[in-house]
Formats: sequence, structure tokens, C-alpha cells
Amino acid sequence: MMTFVGKRLLQLIPVLLGISILVFLLLHLIPGDPALTLLGQEATPEDVERIREILGLNEPLYVQLFVFLKNLVQGDLGVSIFQDVPVLTLVLSQLPATLELAFLALVIAVIIAVPLGIISAVKQFSWLDYVSMFFAQLGVSMPVFWLGMLLIIQFSVNMNIFPSFGRGDPLVESFIMTIQSGNLYYVIESFKYLILPALTLGVMSAAMITRMVRSSMLEVLNEDYIRTAEAKGVRSFWVILKHAFRNALIPVITIVGLQFGNLLGGAIVTETVFGWPGIGRLIITAISQRDFPVVQGSVLVIALLFAIINLVVDLLYALINPKIKSN
Amino acid sequence: MKKLVWLLFLSLFLVLVAGCSYENPESASSEPEQSGEEGEGTSDTSTADIIKVGLDVDAGSMDPRLAKDTSAARVEELVYDGLVRLNANLEPEPALATEWENPDETTWIFTLREDVTFQDGEPFTAEDVKYTFDTILDPDFQAPYLSLYEPIKSVEVIDETHVKFNLKEPYAPLLSYLDIGIVPKHIAEKGDVLSSEPVGTGPYKMVNWEKNNQINFEANEDYWGGTPKTPKITYFIIPDNTTRVAALESGDVDFVHSPLSPQDISRIEKNDEFKVEKTQALGFTYLNYNMKNEILSDVKIRQALSHLVNKNVISEEIYQGMDSPGKSPLIPASWAYTDNVPEFEYDPDKALELFAEAGWEDTDGDGILDKDGKKLSLTLSTHSEDPNRIQIVEYLQNEFTQVGVETEVLTNEWPTFSTSLMEGNFDIGLVGWLNLVGPDRAMYNQFYSDSGSNYGKYSNARVDELLEKGRRVSDQAERTKIYQEAAKIVTEEVAYDVLLYQGYIAMYDKNLNGFEIHPTGSLYGLKDAELTN
Repeated sequence: MMTFVGKRLLQLIPVLLGISILVFLLLHLIPGDPALTLLGQEATPEDVERIREILGLNEPLYVQLFVFLKNLVQGDLGVSIFQDVPVLTLVLSQLPATLELAFLALVIAVIIAVPLGIISAVKQFSWLDYVSMFFAQLGVSMPVFWLGMLLIIQFSVNMNIFPSFGRGDPLVESFIMTIQSGNLYYVIESFKYLILPALTLGVMSAAMITRMVRSSMLEVLNEDYIRTAEAKGVRSFWVILKHAFRNALIPVITIVGLQFGNLLGGAIVTETVFGWPGIGRLIITAISQRDFPVVQGSVLVIALLFAIINLVVDLLYALINPKIKSN
Repeated sequence: MKKLVWLLFLSLFLVLVAGCSYENPESASSEPEQSGEEGEGTSDTSTADIIKVGLDVDAGSMDPRLAKDTSAARVEELVYDGLVRLNANLEPEPALATEWENPDETTWIFTLREDVTFQDGEPFTAEDVKYTFDTILDPDFQAPYLSLYEPIKSVEVIDETHVKFNLKEPYAPLLSYLDIGIVPKHIAEKGDVLSSEPVGTGPYKMVNWEKNNQINFEANEDYWGGTPKTPKITYFIIPDNTTRVAALESGDVDFVHSPLSPQDISRIEKNDEFKVEKTQALGFTYLNYNMKNEILSDVKIRQALSHLVNKNVISEEIYQGMDSPGKSPLIPASWAYTDNVPEFEYDPDKALELFAEAGWEDTDGDGILDKDGKKLSLTLSTHSEDPNRIQIVEYLQNEFTQVGVETEVLTNEWPTFSTSLMEGNFDIGLVGWLNLVGPDRAMYNQFYSDSGSNYGKYSNARVDELLEKGRRVSDQAERTKIYQEAAKIVTEEVAYDVLLYQGYIAMYDKNLNGFEIHPTGSLYGLKDAELTN
């Protein structure tokens, strides 16, 4: 097991290196000059030139790449051109908000998707199946910003239940406060801020996962061992849950893992609509300012997380299906 | 066994939850105070201790010398004072300087306010003023607005309360630019601290900044201008225009202002719960013609194109009256404003006449004007962040194409678009200018030959002469004449086609009283505002 994890972690190095180089090249190939965005419209060409020199942007691209990689292997992600703060500090300050959002979105997605997927597989071609699949289709096709707006108008403006934007206290902190004080106020307040963005973000993933659960369940339900279990007189509830669903889980876990990665990246739009102070908004702002070090650093951190999630998913396989472990 | 463990967990959880209370710790602690007040027979209305403001972007550097985004300016207005402050008519009024004199054309002497302290308790002195401008003038410091201060040769400390500005040449606009915040030398010397922890002499202190989320301020009780009425102000960062207005409607914020979407404004105007105030902003939106383009270098073509632009349609249909039809680079909010400039009213027939005079006609019947076998083909470009500007270029594409000008639309995000402007790599660019606190700011960098922001490479010796003169002459009446003449020339020659004078709009809770809007969008006025419940 440890060798497997070790091997996988080693494999990460070339992957992350490749991503870094790719992001670096892409950013430097698109037009737009950080010096110009830093100085604003009224800058003179001489000012722009001077700042380019200071930022090292006048060096040949391969020299800039070399410097970037050299700093990277030393664990130095650079300093934000605009905010003059180390990129790592900036990314780490915004990451918890995104993780919190993506995690709750995933929980919501799974809570919606698993029952819907199971029901539509068990009751295939019934109205329940059609309704579930209609919502799944709707969830996939609906633009995230539009759903977000609708939720804000309904639940914040009209009903005034949830705040329309922003983030309350970090969820972990609120939990600790609640446990210490015995007052649920803290955790509920944090949830109030989290619920609309998480729902917005979760609905799209729920749609994908529902479809996966359905097709995976349909496949398993046709297996012989299901018929055997039924013939043995096991109650159909347990057949579905223990015999069918457990075996249908493997592809579902893959897609849930992938969805978590997607949620980290997909949070960009949701974070903008809900003014959620996460890494997605950090990237968007950094791209529009051509703040190269921040974009590079943020993408690298997201890539690292994505890779770790994949590793965890692989380990989970082994946990669910011992056959994989022995292989 | 497994089931039993789960059951145990579940019951433990339920017991814990059931044992928890639910009450707002803040309201619980403040309740006795309120009942006390009532007991003393005070009126039913109470004043909120916080005003919540929704802003569109987070601040970059909060150091006034390095600040360049609008949110950093909003922070600066609360935390810092300049030597002067511009009033709603953009005239300089005393702030940290109580008076000033101009003994000769290149010398300004400022008398500083006494007994002013920075928010850390240290006294404000002439040394701080000198340090602030010395650092701005140091090219290595990378101050974004260095060019506005370049005519300053040196700043001398005469004594603790007097400073002397020595200029390289007469520079009349100087006072308009001296509203920049004065930084405390004793802190700024330690390095780049003020970018994230600003300390000034202003009415509010910044207490904390959660990046991308909120900036919190607390009243500076020792403020020389009197303690602010509301103890706290919070700026919330809400990037999406519609969400920001929704936050106002839901009561999550009390105040929002431009940039806003026209559709949201008309909705809020119909709602009695809010006040909507409008004024002319310090900006205009314009078409920038590239004189290096062979076709556009002919003034007749530029005039013909101007006759194809229906500014009323743009103002009414796209902006729903938020921005008004424009004429020249001298905006209505400016003291130098004039209505008396050449105007190219919407008239496609007149445009066709001018095209014909310039030799462009549709000789081959393909619907596109041509001359010497070359088609009249142009690209209209703008940036993708502003949906209204995209609508303008699409509208213009339609108008231009109808009379036979082959028009391509190009929209790119701001960094790409602005680079193409700087490099002169465009035909007609739709762009805007903000913060035009005086006519020099609106014209010098834009129309002076070879100036950095003269993207279209417009050049006219008379205009250069006038713009130089406008900087040297100190009499405002004479300056007005100078800038008006320059504005007439650049409008006649269509260096720019000014489409819109931008409007500034503030929308806020109807119970917010005492706030006066300012054309720069300044929130300094919040120090006199209070929100009654």
C-alpha cells in the first residue's frame, strides 16, 4: 500500500512540472502586459518600459521560464505583481473558502443524486425516471450564474432568508465556537452564507452524478447475483442498497472524485456571482490583471489538489472492492 | 454491533444538538442598553452603528501613492487627507493645508493645519508632506500617477507647518492633483507596510481587510474635522453588478454606487425603500480614431463616421439615460465646460456626401464603398468586460454597414485591448476616461503630440500650443478660453468622437441621511451620514 502511494506521489512531480510550464507559456503567449495594467491608462511608454524591466519581463522567455522553475523547486511561488504579497500567502488565505464551498456543494450533490439515481434505475421508464432525468438534464444545461441569480432573487431579496453575498465565519471556526459555547447560532450563521452558493454549485454536479448512478445501477441490477439474492428472499430494499448499490459504487466514486476537482475550478463563476472570497475569484482577478505569479501559483495548487483527490479515489476503490487491492 | 454503534453516535449527536441554544450573542449583550434608552424616554428612532457599502472590486494597494483602482480611492477618502480636497464643483478646498499662496509662477507655499495627528497618535508635520511627494517623484517607487506630478522640481520644508513646492515650469493644474493622501513618514520609511495597513489622518481608521471579502473601518475619534457620525463603515466586495443591487434590496448592504447596470437602476427607482441620486461623473466614453490608419487619416471620413452615430439612441436605448449624449472632452462637471463646439448630428445622407467628397463611392455595386479599387473597411474594437460597450460597437457596426462601410467588430478583454491601444494596433477603439478632475487631465495626455495616452497619434501644432499654455497660465478665466479653443479644434477634427458623458449614480437606503454625492464617487461624505432605524 505504502509503495503504491509513494509511487503515485512520485508520479505527481512530472505532472505538476508539466502543468507549471504549460500555464507559464500560455500566460506569456496571450496578449496583455502586466506593466501596462499595473500602471493604468495614463502611463507613458517610458514608465511601462521601466516597470517591465523591474518585473523582469524584458528577459527572453526561456530565461523567465528558467527563473520561474528555479524558484518553484525552492518552494517559492513568487510575489503578486499587484498586491505585493507572496503568492503562497494569498492562495492559502483564499483556499479554505473554496474548499468549504466545494465540499458542501459535493455533499449536496451526492444527497440529491444518489436517491434520484437509484430511484430512476429501479423504476426505469416510469414517470419517476423521466422526472429525475428531466431534472438531471436541466441541471447540466442550466448556466450557473443564472441559477445563482434566481436563488438570490427568491431567497435573499423576496424571502430574506439567506444573505445575498459574502462569507460568514469559516465553518470550522463556527463549529468550534458552537461546541465551546453550546450556541448553535455560530454554525447556523456560517451555513446561511454557504447554502445558496453551495446549492448553485452542487446542482450541476448532482445532475452528472445522478446520471452516473442510474446507468451504473442499471448495469448491476441485471447481474445474476441480484437475481440470486432476490430468489433467496432478501427484501428488495436490501437487495438494492447492499447488493446492487455497493457494486455500482465504483464508477460513481470516480465521478464524485472528478466532480470535486471540477467544483474547485467551477467555483469561479459561483464565487463571482455570490461574492464568495475564494481562489476562483483570485484567479479571475489575476488573469484580468495579468498577474502572472498569482495565476501560476493558484493553478498549480488546484492541480495539486486535483491529483491528491484522484489518489484518494484510487485508495477508496481498494477499500470498497478488495479485488482491486490484490491487483 | 455495527448498528448499535451508529445508534449510539446518532443519539449522542441529537443530545448535543438538543442541548445547544440558539441566540445571537451580539443582540443578547446589547439588549439591556436599548431598554435603558427607552426607559430614559428617548425617541423611538435609533441610529445604526454601521453603514454597509457594496463595492465592485477589491482594493489593490491601499498606499495612496501607489493606489490606482477605484476601491483603493474609496479607502483613501476615509483613511487619508490630502493637502486639499476637491469639492463637488472640483474646486480645491482646505484639508491638511489651511491656505496656500503662489508668490511667483513656479512656487507654491502651503500652510499646514496644526494639531493634526495620524491614526497611530504621531503628529502630522511638514516632513510627511515632503516625504510623500519625494517618494512619488522617485521613478523607482513606481507611482502610477507620476506623470501628474512631474512638473514638481522639489518640495522643501520651511518649518513644521509650512512647505514650499518648487516647480520646473508654471503648472496651473497642480492644486487639482494635491488631494492625494499624505502618508506618515515614520511608517512608510519602514517599507511597504501602508499597502495593506493604511494609516492616515482621515475620519476613519481601517481595522481589518479580508481580501476579496470586506474592508472594515472604525471612526477616528480624534479626527480634526470632528468625530464621524457613524462609528463603523464596512465595504463589502461584490463583483457582480446585479448581486450588488440585490444585496441592497435584501438589506445586506445600505449603499451601492456606479458602476451599475441600467436595468437595475430603473427597478430601484420604482422602489420607495431607496433613494437614487444622480450627477454627472468625471468621465466620458468615446471613439478613438487612429490617425495612422490610411482611411481614417482623412478628416472627412472621420466626420462622415460621426454623422452615423446617433448618440441619443446610445444614451436612451443602451444606457437608459444613465449616461448622457456627449460632445467634447470638456465634461459638464468641469469648470471649463462649453456647449459651443462643432456637432455632427445623426445624418446618414450627410455622411454619404462626405464619403463622396473624400472619393469613396460604391462603384462596383457590391454595397461597400470603394476608392481606387480599395474597399472602405474598418475594425471597431472595445473590451469585453462592459456589456454596454459591446452593444454600442454592435449598434455602430449596423449603422456603418448600412451606408457601405465594411465594419468588423473586435472585443477582447481589457489587458489585450489596452495593449492594442498602446501599440496603436487598432482602427477605431471604443474606450473611456475616468477621474477627469480638470481640463488638463482630460486633454493633455490625450491630445498632445507624442503623449503616452494619445493612442490615435493625433497631432496639431495649435492644440499642442494651447495645451502647453493651459498648464502655464494661472488665471482660470483665461484657462477656460484656452481649453475651450482646444476642445473646438479636436472636436472639429474628430480626434475623438465623444459619445457619452458618464453619469454617477448612488442608490441607498431611504433612512440614510446626511450623505452628499460627489462626482468623483468619493465616499468621504459618509463621515456626516447616519442611518436611522
